[in-house]
Amino acid sequence: MHETSIVNSIMRTLEHEFEAEKLKRLRAIHLKVGILSNIEPRLLHNAYSAYHLTNPGYFHVELHVEATSLKIKCETCDHITDVQNYRFICDNCKMPSKNVIQGEEMLIHKVEFED
Amino acid sequence: MRPCQSGNFKIKSVRATKYKKKMVDKSTKAARGTVQCENTNINLLKANDFVADIIKKEMAKTSTLLINITSSAGSGKTTLMQKTAEKLKDKITMAVMVGDLETERDAIRIRETGIQALQIVTGGICHLEAQMVHQVLDQFDLENIDLLFIENVGNLVCPSSFDLGEDYRVTLMATTEGDDKPKKYPKMFLTSDMMLVSKADLLPYVPFSVEAVTKDAHEVNHELEVIQISALSGEGVDEWCDWLLDKIAQKKG
Repeated sequence: MHETSIVNSIMRTLEHEFEAEKLKRLRAIHLKVGILSNIEPRLLHNAYSAYHLTNPGYFHVELHVEATSLKIKCETCDHITDVQNYRFICDNCKMPSKNVIQGEEMLIHKVEFED
Repeated sequence: MRPCQSGNFKIKSVRATKYKKKMVDKSTKAARGTVQCENTNINLLKANDFVADIIKKEMAKTSTLLINITSSAGSGKTTLMQKTAEKLKDKITMAVMVGDLETERDAIRIRETGIQALQIVTGGICHLEAQMVHQVLDQFDLENIDLLFIENVGNLVCPSSFDLGEDYRVTLMATTEGDDKPKKYPKMFLTSDMMLVSKADLLPYVPFSVEAVTKDAHEVNHELEVIQISALSGEGVDEWCDWLLDKIAQKKG
C-alpha cells in the first residue's frame, strides 16, 4: 500500500475536519487499520516520519496505529469467526460469508488535543 | 515512499531533529495538563470516497455503466479491452480510460479499434484514485456512452482500496500468473464482482488449475463470478460480452 499518500490523506482529512486553531493543539492521532486494509503499521510510521520533514508543524503529534484482525459474522447463524488464512467460512455452520465485521478498517478513530 | 534517496533528505533531517528537541520540552509540559479526546471514525480514504460518490451520481444521470478493470501487470487487460471493443462497438457505445505510470501506449492500442480511449499517466502512482478519474470524466460525452471502462494500473494491491465509483469491479487472473493469487491478494478478490481467468488458450502449456484458482477465490469471496476467457482464441468472449450487455440493460433500467 502507498503509505505516503495515506499519511497525506490523514493530514488533509484532519485539516478538513478541524479548525486550524484547534489543530495547533493536536497532540496524538489514533488509527485503526485492519489486516485487509493493506496498510503496514511500521511502514506507516516511517511514512509519517518522512511527512514531518516537509511539514514540521506536526512534528510533536504522536501517531498510534492499532492493527485489527479479521473477523466475520455469519449471516446464517450469527456466529463470529476469526478468519484464518483468508478462508471466509463460518467456523460453526461452515457457510461462506463476506460479512466482514472487523479487519477492513482504515479509520482515524481518536484524536487528542491539548487543553 | 522514498526516504533516504536524496542528499537533500539528510539536511532536512538535521533540521527536523532540532524541531524534535523543541517539541519534547513542549509536550513534557503538556503532559501535566489535561487532554481533550475526540472519538472520531473518519475513513482514511474519506477524500477519495467523497469523489467516488460524485462519479457515481454523474454516471447515474447518464445511465452509463462504469467498470473498473484490475489485475497484475501483463495479464491482458488492454487486449481484453480491444477484443471487447471489436465485439461490442456495433451494438453499444463504449469508451476506455486507462491508467499507467508512464506512456500512452495502451490508449493508442485501444483507439486502433475505433473507440474513444484516454490515457491517465499517474507519473509513478501505483493506483488510480477517484480524483484522477473525475478529472478526465468531462472529456467523455457520457450522454452517448453506454459503457465506460477504467483500466486500472496493473497491480493487485493498492487499487483494491480505492473506490472509483464503479458499478462493478472485474479482476483478470492470467493463467501465466499461477493459480495461487487470490489468497495472496485477498482484498482485491474480496472487493471484485467478477474474475476473468484470462489467457485460457495457454492452459495446455502452463501448470495452472482453473478449479484450484476458483476454489481459492471462492474461499475469499463466495459471490465472485468466474469466466474463463481468451481474447486471442475468442473462448469465453461471448459470455463476457453477454454479461456486459446484461449489466448495461440493468443500468438503463
